[in-house]
Amino acid sequence: MPELRDVPDSPPPFLGSWRRVYAAVLVYLVVVILAAYFFARAYR
Amino acid sequence: MRALDWVVLLASLVSIIAYGLYRSRGSNTVDRYLLAGKTMPWYAMALSIMATQASAITFISTTGQSYVDGMRFVQAYFGLPIAMIVVCATVVPAFYRARVYTAYEYLENRFDAKTRALASVIFLCQRGLSAGLTIYAPAIVLSVILGWPERATTLLMGATVVTYTVIGGIKAVTWSDVQQMGVIFLGLLIALVTVVVLLPHSVSFGDAVFLAGAAGRLNAVTTNFDWNDRFNIWSGLIGSTFLFLSYFGCDQSQVQRYLTGRSLTESRLSLLFNAVAKIPMQFFILFIGAMVFVFYVFVEPPVLFQHTELERIAQVSQYQGVETRYHQAFERRREAALALAQAHRAGDVASHARSLADYRGAQQSLDAARSSAALLVESSGGEKGFSDTNYIFLSFVTRYLPAGIVGLVIAVVFAATMSASSGEINSLATVTVVDLYKRHFRRGASDHHYLTASRWATLFWGAYAVVFAGWGKKLGSLIVAVNVVGSLFYGSLLGCFVVAFAFRKVGGTAVFLGMLAGEAAIFWVFLRGGISYLWYNVIGCVVVVTVSLALTWLAPAAFARPESPPAP
Repeated sequence: MPELRDVPDSPPPFLGSWRRVYAAVLVYLVVVILAAYFFARAYR
Repeated sequence: MRALDWVVLLASLVSIIAYGLYRSRGSNTVDRYLLAGKTMPWYAMALSIMATQASAITFISTTGQSYVDGMRFVQAYFGLPIAMIVVCATVVPAFYRARVYTAYEYLENRFDAKTRALASVIFLCQRGLSAGLTIYAPAIVLSVILGWPERATTLLMGATVVTYTVIGGIKAVTWSDVQQMGVIFLGLLIALVTVVVLLPHSVSFGDAVFLAGAAGRLNAVTTNFDWNDRFNIWSGLIGSTFLFLSYFGCDQSQVQRYLTGRSLTESRLSLLFNAVAKIPMQFFILFIGAMVFVFYVFVEPPVLFQHTELERIAQVSQYQGVETRYHQAFERRREAALALAQAHRAGDVASHARSLADYRGAQQSLDAARSSAALLVESSGGEKGFSDTNYIFLSFVTRYLPAGIVGLVIAVVFAATMSASSGEINSLATVTVVDLYKRHFRRGASDHHYLTASRWATLFWGAYAVVFAGWGKKLGSLIVAVNVVGSLFYGSLLGCFVVAFAFRKVGGTAVFLGMLAGEAAIFWVFLRGGISYLWYNVIGCVVVVTVSLALTWLAPAAFARPESPPAP
């Protein structure tokens, strides 16, 4: 197989690096789950 | 359906197809036909991924699911962002690096031809089964709700999809998907606004949300662990992560969407868009179902939403008693709901507790009467395990929504069916031509030959889907089972890719035997019963990885990957 350098891996258009983008998505997931949990609890 | 509904429906469908075909001009090479010449922007891929994943039955069924069981189905999507991150970090760069047309082509680079062939056949079995159902499932609902002949609905949807998929290839599929998602979002938004507007004047939006919650319809997160419970936070976070890893990492119907990207960055962005947007979207659809539930707290719903079965059991002598109990429970629930909303607004604790108990008691009586009616369906020769969940939303739409909006919602059903099945047919054709025909039957032919073969393969799978959908009626209650059977294949495919990416020493024969063992394990668990299908993916994946590693460790001479010769 060709090497990775054959495929240009440019940084994302925001947050500077893919690592930070992935971390932001994980934080988002935690926030969404907590929001859904408290929503469910508030109207239980 | 009134004249305005027909105008809206036809205008939506014609514009979607015309736009898709217009954007697909120049798809005259295999690369352009199957991968759009790698020119797609991230937002088009993102919406195409979303559209392919969301079939019509997702919209019809999800709203009904929320009506009967609440919003906990949303938890089945909690694993999606995790899976997307893993796919973006590992799978997408590997596929780009290998410059493949299909996910299974990568397996030959990594293992050998037999592993690629086995994975391709597993995909064709699994996706081929669901291609017919994607068309059939909404066709039966539309035929019951609107009185259209099933065969006509199936043929109309199938012929439309096949036409633009055969002519335009993946570009037509992707750009049609973009428009289809537009129609879907617009239709659902208008449906939600309309259902809230239709509530009685004395019931505010806040009251409606409160009443839905009091009846347990806003249970978006449940933390109890149960192997057999399909939707809780644990099966959502663990089981669905594996399911979505399989789906987005190993299922060609999804892989092909993001392989059309202009660059690695665009492909990653398209997946991460789904990671962020999918949970709110499902939450929104489920919330519509919860609001439909509240609407029916004040307007008496039919005992069963499948009117043909309801008319049949109305002839049975026991039905009269069921209907009376149902009507009394409805009246009790309506009065309790009004009292409860009033007590909630006034902050009257004692009245609140009393009304809440009445409201929930009446709901239980209502559910019990509906269950009795469902049992009457079964005992009078109807479908075993009868459920009318898929009929709730469309029954509401056709009865209560104004002219024009009904046409738009039916267009949503058509759009969702077409977007899901076009993606399936396109990917089935790609795997057939690239992984089987070109690899095993006709090597080294011209580009024009493979382009023609791709068009014929698309036509074949489209016709197969329509014919299989035509046989769907004979499957009866097996429809649900066939949906679950689809998940029987994902775990071993995922295990194969996990070994490919994470364990470099494992060779092709070890993973090939691992996949066979994985399939055997999943089928054993399935036949034994007692475990929800979301866990099959975990089990299959773990067995493939374990068997592959064990064989490589026990007999490295036979099963380890041969070392690459040192560079001269």
